[in-house]
Amino acid sequence: MSSELVLQNVDKIYGSGAVHAVKDLSFSVKPGEITALLGSSGCGKTSTLRMIAGFETVTKGSIALDGKLIHTLPPAQRQVAMAFETYSLYPPLTIAENISFALKAQRLASQDVGKRVKNMAELLEIGDVLNKYPSSVSGGQQQRASLGRALVRKAGLYLLDEPMGQLEPQLRAVLRGRIKHYLREHNCTTILVTHDQTEANALADRIAVMEGGVLQQYATPAELKVRPANLFVGTFIGEPPMNVFPVRMKDDGDRIAFMIEGGEGQNLVYKAVDFSDPLRQRLKREPSLMLGVRPHAVHIGGQGLKARVVTCQWLGDQTHIAAEIAGRTVVSVSHEQISAKPGSEVFLSIAPQELHVFTSGDGAAIAHGASLV
Amino acid sequence: MPHIELAAVSKSFKTNKVLDDISLSADAGEIVVIFGPSGTGKTVLLRLIAGVEEPSSGEIRIDNQDMADVAPEHRDVGMAFQNFALFPHLNAFENIASPLRARAQGESQVKDGVARVAKLLKIDHVLGHAPRELSNGQKQRTALARALASSPKLLLLDDPLRNVDAKLRFEMRLELPRLLRQAKSTVLYVTQDYKEAMALADRIAVLAHGKFVQVATPQDIYRKPATLSVARLFGDPTINLAETTIGDDGTIALAGERLAVDPSYEAWAGRKVIFGVRPEAITVRQGNGTGLKAQVMAVTPLNERTVLLLQTAAGAELLASLPSSSTAIPKAESGVEVTFSLNGAHLFDHETGAALTGGSA
Repeated sequence: MSSELVLQNVDKIYGSGAVHAVKDLSFSVKPGEITALLGSSGCGKTSTLRMIAGFETVTKGSIALDGKLIHTLPPAQRQVAMAFETYSLYPPLTIAENISFALKAQRLASQDVGKRVKNMAELLEIGDVLNKYPSSVSGGQQQRASLGRALVRKAGLYLLDEPMGQLEPQLRAVLRGRIKHYLREHNCTTILVTHDQTEANALADRIAVMEGGVLQQYATPAELKVRPANLFVGTFIGEPPMNVFPVRMKDDGDRIAFMIEGGEGQNLVYKAVDFSDPLRQRLKREPSLMLGVRPHAVHIGGQGLKARVVTCQWLGDQTHIAAEIAGRTVVSVSHEQISAKPGSEVFLSIAPQELHVFTSGDGAAIAHGASLV
Repeated sequence: MPHIELAAVSKSFKTNKVLDDISLSADAGEIVVIFGPSGTGKTVLLRLIAGVEEPSSGEIRIDNQDMADVAPEHRDVGMAFQNFALFPHLNAFENIASPLRARAQGESQVKDGVARVAKLLKIDHVLGHAPRELSNGQKQRTALARALASSPKLLLLDDPLRNVDAKLRFEMRLELPRLLRQAKSTVLYVTQDYKEAMALADRIAVLAHGKFVQVATPQDIYRKPATLSVARLFGDPTINLAETTIGDDGTIALAGERLAVDPSYEAWAGRKVIFGVRPEAITVRQGNGTGLKAQVMAVTPLNERTVLLLQTAAGAELLASLPSSSTAIPKAESGVEVTFSLNGAHLFDHETGAALTGGSA
């Protein structure tokens, strides 16, 4: 079962206008799509979740599920299954009874219920605690039981609030994969609310990045990395974070130079033909810019910026190198095992296709990969 | 001569033995990370060295001198903790100055000392602030500055990055090695984050059930884990494991097929083992080859890498991790063939979990 969720111009104002938690929010989740609401605390994601669930009134705007307006309905009539961070399992019921609770209402044959509970428990690796009570299992197991209780029932929409925050690291990757496969296989329309971009990237088809109650960008994980709408999204998404330098641009016809401010004459120089004409016109009008480069796009070696190695850290499947250019730290990430001695000199090269250009004022994106946005 | 030496140290609280006959030595200027899950006795170990707790048996020597009768304040030790433990009634300056004042240094020396570490830790602009006015990141830097202020010969850092956000933790992880090098102290650093351990350590001491399971360089810990439990603690995603028996020809039975991974496995023919392979040592190909056939169940990006959940025909699950830039990333539900790179494949004894192979070819 799957339904489309549509939010239109939704506002949430608490009290007498003192806190404007969600501002003119519009987005939709297609049937069977997994959407993540991502942001730090206070960004408005939890207020949004609570309005969709029905625990909070909508100040302005509308929420529709499967073409029907639901934002004035009581929570129980919204066809929404929920798993919350605080678990809220029923203490007097066993884990199995908690998971099967919602199925009872669906009048399924008891052997059918048993089978579905068992399958869900195996998927979430809680098969061995089904007969225990919530108070006698670990936080991670409670969280998985709460998730199982939401996923096992049929609903038009699944709301998962920080569903994996407590998960044991050894289980996390496998469970992410299994849950994603389950949601796909059952064509579940899902909203995942999280502050953890790793979780959002792993599970979501599209991510809605929120900050200050405002939707900053709604796009696929890949698109957020390659074409961030503004400097906030650019630096918020990506681990390690994007390198950012204030620069001044100079175009002498043949070459384009980005001079790093305070960089003691260190310039990133490119052939002008590598940049699109509309972009060059735009850059000429706005020579003071913010230049962003993802760490994996900073290559050690070749021609480029002279830098001094600060730290070289190998983490098993990747190497992180921090180097300094006139007091600014630049981070480079490689999938290979590289050794670079702290204190030694290296050259950092960055291909023009890897540049992100933002205005120095409001941080709106001007260009990605040497082409105008 | 090692700077600090623990010789057969044990610590019990009533009947609970927290540390069991552990020995460790660190050279001057070395960074040794004490790594282990919570509740393994890491903090107790630091408290013994600082002198706020006494060992039940064994000896702690600093510069070849037994510390048994040396009071904490005479051990030349600096400490920082995960909960910062700043004096709430003192501003950042006075917090950092406290170890210098305890040594009755002159006012100008105190000022110079605080200024030096505050600049290093980029908190010179908030020295007048009370702890409650500082952000978590600034609190943590203040606590580190206090630990470094008296240039102690030995620094004990108890999970100092635990309570700061991911971005700041990453930033500090890159900055700390330089700070610690400049301090020239010997460092014992406690963490339960394996990436932090690998990034900062000259050597990692893995603590489990009150004993050191392995003490080695990050390279050896990752490439040559001494036990199954060490292999499982390092790496994200965690190493894939499967019980199997080595065939007479050195092949292993895996997911209903017999696979030749490494001819040297013949040495353990007939033995029941646990085969482990790291997710990044798995190669995934589309098309018809000789590899293990599997279905892609889910594709889950992980930072600059992409993790695949694979399922073999026999129902066994495997995690593979590829660079996201790789052109070989298959789609969910597609069929693939899987091969293992030796550099990342390990055999462990089925009973004891001890490593049988070094892993690094």
